[in-house]
Amino acid sequence: MKKALSLALLSIFALTASMILLSHRSSGFQDREAISAPASVQHWAGTDDLGRDRAARLASAFLLGLVGAACASAITAAISILVGVGTAFARPRVSRFLLYGSDVFLGLPWLFLLMLVRSMLPLNLPSHLSAAVTVALLASLGWPIYVRSLYARATSLRRADWLLQARANGLSAWRIGTSQVLPHVRPLYLTQFLLGIPAFIIAEANLGSLGLGVSEPLVSWGSLLQELGSSAQLGTTHWVYLPLALLVAILLCIELCIPED
Amino acid sequence: MSYFETAWLPALLLPFLIVGNTGLTQAQAPPAEIAWALHSEPKTLDPAKVDDQSSEMVRYLTGGVLLRVNRQTLQTESALAERWLISKDGRLITFRLRKDLHFSDGSSLTERDVVASLRRVLDPATAAPVREEFLEPQSVTVGSSEPLVVQVHLAKRIVALEKIFDEIAIEPAVHFGDSSVTAGPFHVTLLKRGDYVMLQRNAYYWRKDATGHPMPYLNTVRLDTVSNREIERVRFLSGQYQLIDHVAPEDFDGIAGKSVAMHDYGPSLNTEQMWFNQAPSAPIPAYEKSWFTNRSFRLAISLAIRRADLARIAYKGHATPAYGFISPANRAWHNANIPITQENTQQALQLLQSAGFHLSGEHLLDHEGHSVHFSILTNAGNLAREKMAELIKQDLRAIGIEVNVVRLDFPALIERLMHTQAYEAALLGLSNVDPDPNAMINVWLSSSPNHQWNPSEKTPATDWEAEIDRLMLAQAATQNAQERKRCIDRLQQIVADQQPFIYLVHPNLLYATSMSLEGTQLSVLQPGVVSAIDSMRRKDGGR
Repeated sequence: MKKALSLALLSIFALTASMILLSHRSSGFQDREAISAPASVQHWAGTDDLGRDRAARLASAFLLGLVGAACASAITAAISILVGVGTAFARPRVSRFLLYGSDVFLGLPWLFLLMLVRSMLPLNLPSHLSAAVTVALLASLGWPIYVRSLYARATSLRRADWLLQARANGLSAWRIGTSQVLPHVRPLYLTQFLLGIPAFIIAEANLGSLGLGVSEPLVSWGSLLQELGSSAQLGTTHWVYLPLALLVAILLCIELCIPED
Repeated sequence: MSYFETAWLPALLLPFLIVGNTGLTQAQAPPAEIAWALHSEPKTLDPAKVDDQSSEMVRYLTGGVLLRVNRQTLQTESALAERWLISKDGRLITFRLRKDLHFSDGSSLTERDVVASLRRVLDPATAAPVREEFLEPQSVTVGSSEPLVVQVHLAKRIVALEKIFDEIAIEPAVHFGDSSVTAGPFHVTLLKRGDYVMLQRNAYYWRKDATGHPMPYLNTVRLDTVSNREIERVRFLSGQYQLIDHVAPEDFDGIAGKSVAMHDYGPSLNTEQMWFNQAPSAPIPAYEKSWFTNRSFRLAISLAIRRADLARIAYKGHATPAYGFISPANRAWHNANIPITQENTQQALQLLQSAGFHLSGEHLLDHEGHSVHFSILTNAGNLAREKMAELIKQDLRAIGIEVNVVRLDFPALIERLMHTQAYEAALLGLSNVDPDPNAMINVWLSSSPNHQWNPSEKTPATDWEAEIDRLMLAQAATQNAQERKRCIDRLQQIVADQQPFIYLVHPNLLYATSMSLEGTQLSVLQPGVVSAIDSMRRKDGGR
């Protein structure tokens, strides 16, 4: 029931966001006569300090954030399955190398890599490509988190009688992996995929608040939440809290979709 | 247990951790009669090595100088030197010290200390930034022929010579480098790195008020290192600080209270500007270089930018549209005869057409069919600049130009601007602490590495840059004030005609002071709100 409600709510958000974007001006247009304006017929959630429609920007950030986070989470899950399950079935030396390597990878200060990558990117990189680069970077940095749990699960499967049976019957490693092992780890990676979505949304929001990540005119949660960084802005209108409220609501909905068992 | 269920506990504790660690309240700093925040830690307490704003603040408050530039009248006044004389050829300056001068520890201040301090500044081993202002410091000699007299022999005439001595603190000949023994209004008593600097009144300070009362009036000053403006604001409103030096424009209208006074002192001497990369060696396409070196292109960009919106929106009305590098606040040097460029999109398009550009739908194309599209670099974290860049983006879209705003951290930005030249346009500011345009000579000389649009030219790339070189060198070589003004007026005209820098705004000077303070005199020059620290006092006795 909770899951159905959450999915319904997310669908409503997505539909509403799509309708807002179709009916409104561009999320980057500056209405200079309506700077930090309150809600009105023209601007349903008011405008920000550059006169940009807050509702349109929220809608843009929601759709981009959800799609981007889902893609990043899917890529991360795929890489972690490859490494985690592959490590369980690899030779001991290779297995140790992969495990320790993923642990070391996890511990490195990747924020500086992100800053370095951003400074190396072409200055005229279109915003949709900057979004794609952000997704790819987040995905490439997020996979080690899940490797150990997948490795542990796959290791327990490796010793299972039915797996030995499959090997004895001459099934190839690829067939064993895809048709026998993957279904057994599906609950794990599905949960990790769903857990990864809010984590990547938050990660992208953090990057956006540092000036990294998705660039204008595409809108990210980070650029929306930057409004909360100024206490002077907080006192002007309660609409500045809308991105935060919506983000919390979305993350809760996604959380409720995650299976408990 | 889901991550949400495990997350509630840290979420609950987070506010307490934040309050505990941001130092919204300060329990441990010693009390002082007046306190305010420095936005960065002073890099040095050695007055000879000052090279940053926070260290300069400490030097201003503690350093006894031979001559002091009055921050209100901009006139040079006597300080430790009772009088001074510059020879006709401008190569000898003679100071006569006041009688019975003392340092803060009670020891006598004599010509020996002055000579030692000046020699230390001129010594290359000290690496004093002010040394370069003597042009040929290795040829400068300092000596004393009689008590209380000090003579400085220069290799060549120096423009605005007296102002240099406003930056040289006189220290005891036997005790240099930590501002603990000074001849200024205060001396350093305690430094807690990363936290605060405590200053104590100099009981032996030479200055007295009109009634003969010794100055300064304040007994203790505390300068806290606080880079977070939110913390500064909260502490000011709670009474822990008595002033805010340089209020951010987005905070100005939000700082309100019965016991505070907000001051918008009008345009500062600073400028915010954008420029195009005109360096021939820049790793950008040749067609882009042809745009940026085209005068009509730059003028069109300038005409398309709505400066009034930049001041109103990016600075919340606390900035003044800028059309040149000399602020109107710099009345001595501002050329008021240069007509202001009113924004005019139609005129901008006409200029572009005359330069071979044309509109194709909503996009501007050059004569080779390239869509005009470039990036503007600015530093991440400067809210006003980021907003200006976004506003300019929309202004230029109106003439068919697509702009990509790129925010980089400062080191990456400087790397591109100063070393690799891998950029198309940049938007940054210039902080002018000295109203004399000669202080900007390194920006205007074409051979200088700070000649930002085309650094370190072997020969001037254009006739107008060659004329700028001649004008700057001419004004530096003459003591005739009218001749210098003529040169600087002409320079302003060239800059308006050629737009190597497209000036955007002069940010206004914004200060906040507590009503408990009196004797405050604001100034366009640093250190702004505390420029008359000698005469400041607490009405409430420091409580």
